[in-house]
Amino acid sequence: MTTIDAFGLTDVGKVRPQNEDQFVVASLRKSVRIRHTSLSDPGLGDRLGGAEAYLFVIADGVGGRPGGELASGSVVASLLEFVDQAVVCYHSLDVDQEHEFLDRLEQSVHRAHERVLRDFGSAGKGPATTLTMITLTWPRAYLVHVGDSRAYYLRQGRLRQITRDQTTGEYMVDVGAWTEEQAARAKVAANLTSSIGGSEMTPAVGLIDLEAGDVVLLCTDGLNKHVSDERIAEVLRGTGTAEAMCRELVDEALRSGGTDNVTVIVARAAG
Amino acid sequence: MIQKKVCMVGVYGTGKTSLVQQYVHSIFSVKYHSTVGVKIDRKVVDIGGTPVTLVLWDVAGRDATQDIPASYLKGAHAFLFVVDGTRRTTFEQLADLRALARGAAGDVPAMVALNKADLKAEWALTERDEAALVTEGWHHLRTSAKTGACVEEAFGWLAGATLRDGSKRP
Repeated sequence: MTTIDAFGLTDVGKVRPQNEDQFVVASLRKSVRIRHTSLSDPGLGDRLGGAEAYLFVIADGVGGRPGGELASGSVVASLLEFVDQAVVCYHSLDVDQEHEFLDRLEQSVHRAHERVLRDFGSAGKGPATTLTMITLTWPRAYLVHVGDSRAYYLRQGRLRQITRDQTTGEYMVDVGAWTEEQAARAKVAANLTSSIGGSEMTPAVGLIDLEAGDVVLLCTDGLNKHVSDERIAEVLRGTGTAEAMCRELVDEALRSGGTDNVTVIVARAAG
Repeated sequence: MIQKKVCMVGVYGTGKTSLVQQYVHSIFSVKYHSTVGVKIDRKVVDIGGTPVTLVLWDVAGRDATQDIPASYLKGAHAFLFVVDGTRRTTFEQLADLRALARGAAGDVPAMVALNKADLKAEWALTERDEAALVTEGWHHLRTSAKTGACVEEAFGWLAGATLRDGSKRP
């Protein structure tokens, strides 16, 4: 397996009183080993064992609702438990097992959603969160995505967004009801059409085969609302470590305003 | 429940994602987004009383810089090759794409969607082209992801074909 250099970093930003983002960078064997986390219980799921796969998770508690931090923390903690069960079958996945594996990953998100509803209240009224999760069993990266956090990858210098924002603005432009300009002006454009704990929760599922030299980025919108894709690409094209890239991206978001919590995960596949 | 992997294969911009969106969610997006990697959707269909989950692998289209990785096509139970009926070059790559798919998954059921059939004024394929498909053993339909024309029929035919082909792959 290609060596993966992965790191995660979060910052409360300059405006928000608390950080409602969460992240996990974990290596997987028969269970979950946490590398870095913003959770208060970093020992959750921790086990001995060499890395055979990786789990990258980012969650952004939905602003404007009480308990966003609780929701995102609860979701990430739940996911670790559920994904731990799901990855039992990740070893040497063949094409027939792959469907089951994808099912399990998606189910883990549904179960996390149900847990948030159970713990914090009814759909659409209690706290909610985004979620972007990548499970990497080299070279295949499996993605489950809810909300407007993002996953990108850089290959041969070109940055591409893997996820699509599940927001009102994106949806209205897609169906032709709004122009891009109308979406940019509309206050409700940033509202999530899908979130964990929300009234709608429709995970997008996908995968991509990585290549040596690729760089994967997961981020909350605290990054992309301040840092352009062009600038993100510049940083990821660098030769530094994943940690250095994370620090540079977060610093850039803070220098550009830091109006939101900002969280990034960078994973570099050795070239 | 029986699950069948159906891969959408074609050149970029032929409407693979739009066909899946129309079939699964009954929506048509006017904004073009190129697919990155593979987007996966599911739909449960009833085939002669047998529920079947179609796992639809919407594979990023071939373009000048990137071919379709054969690794995405392995284990497919069926292929839907998508041609943009307004771009003849997308039709001309069918044989090559079929060879790629056969190499990855063997001789499994396949059909061709001649998509964007609503764009009649820009249609670039001839009756001879369609006759050639028949001669070469292709099952094909003119589809429109925008209007929904023949979308259900295309996926329904593939679903049925995978069941009839069930002896070849579990």
